[in-house]
Amino acid sequence: MSARGELIGAAIVIAVLLFAPFLSPLIHLDVSIVSEVLVMAVAAMSVNLLLGYTGLPAFGNAAYFGLGAYGAALSVKYFQVDFVAAVVIGTLAAFAGALILGPFLLRRRGIYFGLLSIAFGQVFYFIAYRYTDVTGGEDGMNFPRPPVALAHVQVKETAFYYVALAVFVAALIAFRAVVRSPFGRTLVAIRQNEVRVRYLGLNSDRFIFVALLIASAMAGISGALFGLLINFAYPLQLDWHQSGDFVLMMILGGGGTLWGPLLGSFIYVLGKDIVSTITPLWQIFIGGLFVACVLGFPRGILGTIEQRLRRAPGTFTADDVNAAFDPNAPVEVGRGV
Amino acid sequence: MASDAAMLRAENVTKAFGGVRAVDDVSLAVREGTIHALIGPNGAGKTTFFNAISGFTLPDRGRVTFRGADLTRAPNWKRIAAGMGRTFQTPSIFPELTVDENVRLGVRAHAKQAFRLRTPGGEAKRAVDARVGELLGFVNLTAQRDRPLAELAHGSQRLCEIAMSLSTDPVLVLLDEPMAGLAEAETERIMTVIRDLRARLGLTVLFVEHNMRVVLNVAEKITVLDRGKLLAEGTPAEISANQAVREAYLGSEVIARV
Repeated sequence: MSARGELIGAAIVIAVLLFAPFLSPLIHLDVSIVSEVLVMAVAAMSVNLLLGYTGLPAFGNAAYFGLGAYGAALSVKYFQVDFVAAVVIGTLAAFAGALILGPFLLRRRGIYFGLLSIAFGQVFYFIAYRYTDVTGGEDGMNFPRPPVALAHVQVKETAFYYVALAVFVAALIAFRAVVRSPFGRTLVAIRQNEVRVRYLGLNSDRFIFVALLIASAMAGISGALFGLLINFAYPLQLDWHQSGDFVLMMILGGGGTLWGPLLGSFIYVLGKDIVSTITPLWQIFIGGLFVACVLGFPRGILGTIEQRLRRAPGTFTADDVNAAFDPNAPVEVGRGV
Repeated sequence: MASDAAMLRAENVTKAFGGVRAVDDVSLAVREGTIHALIGPNGAGKTTFFNAISGFTLPDRGRVTFRGADLTRAPNWKRIAAGMGRTFQTPSIFPELTVDENVRLGVRAHAKQAFRLRTPGGEAKRAVDARVGELLGFVNLTAQRDRPLAELAHGSQRLCEIAMSLSTDPVLVLLDEPMAGLAEAETERIMTVIRDLRARLGLTVLFVEHNMRVVLNVAEKITVLDRGKLLAEGTPAEISANQAVREAYLGSEVIARV
């Protein structure tokens, strides 16, 4: 795609998103569902940075997502903070989580990185599940959506949508800048051949750690917004199923592409919403969609289209999934930051 | 630096895998400004020794010093920063990136720009561009610079890998079987490049090689390993005349052809 084509495409998508609150009633769609699409897209983008670009099996990103949701929920419930502070605290909680877990995760690559990610996520899940006095345990915790303190305004559904849109666009612009920067190109290089990156004199652990911190902040802001969207935080937001959903969204839309996570989130969230009104077995639909996608669009929908339009070196392929599971990680990799 | 000008010194290096001593008490000194070959039959421990020097694996025992600094336990990326460059038996490259970008990553790494979140412009960018152009020119890949490296022939990939290993401005280049799997014409090209590494760039070269014609033509000093142990060391003339080496490895037929 040319730079001009990309700009026009982006302008069209943003324009549609700007008018979505007015368009969605026409197709009997609640605006909060469209908000959810944008919020989840940011979480899928965080998986995209780690898995799609860097090639790390990020199977525990719900940990950061859930920390974001609980961070917002706890701070609103116990400290009556406002909307903006709740989002910031949720994001910082996720960031702090990655700061603590990162040094351990860095020590492994391939499938072991994925398993460690899941395991750490489950630790948070069980804390939320068991620590009933504070978190409400299995029942989760309801909390009111706080107002924006400075403006003295309640954040109604349409207003929330524009907040979500602003966050999404900001995340997208930041994400684009990161993956195009020398830092981002080094991440792609790590995905393709981490040994060579180290033999270019770079400590790949440092790059992965920073990628993890960026991804955790994205997942955290997404989780905080999701909690505020549904006024609810519950243990399953931290669970590995939730992590799997993010991976699914990324793969559906196209890993290693800029807009793939949005498309994946759109299909997943809307598909779930529509199909679940018809049958409680909506997961069959998602499963079928996933199988169809892997067979028909091995690079995800956008990734495959991009590949057809031009040769797109540097996009995520099925081979990268295999590589991401390669337990034969280079011996000297993972000795700490 | 030591008085004998040994740039790289490996002392009593031992590395075992399970019960097998792949490298057993091997010492080696590479003098500054030489082209030094490491040879031996299959399973002699050449690559294991090479890996211990370059930090791909760590030795069980022994010491590796480079330009006077002890790097025995140093992580691989620090050895690159200290001035080593290396290639692998199977070219270790970024197959989906273009030739230009493969080399550029290393140049940026060396210019301490790899961590930047913004591509530097102006003077910094011009310096990187110039260096990338220079390296591509050295291995003669300028015409293919915008093609994904995976599309290029094996020999060109190897040349690109050499350019990548040079991108960090090393003083010592380690080449692991640079001729493996190459056609005759490509072998000539790489031989020229190895000679140029010293002649034009003033670098020190240590390489592992099977092809005796290449070794005897290019190397000034040869170290022979056999079953993990040091068998012999000397000039090409000394090595090709060495009876133990002939028996262990060369065979009179090979010598006759050379």
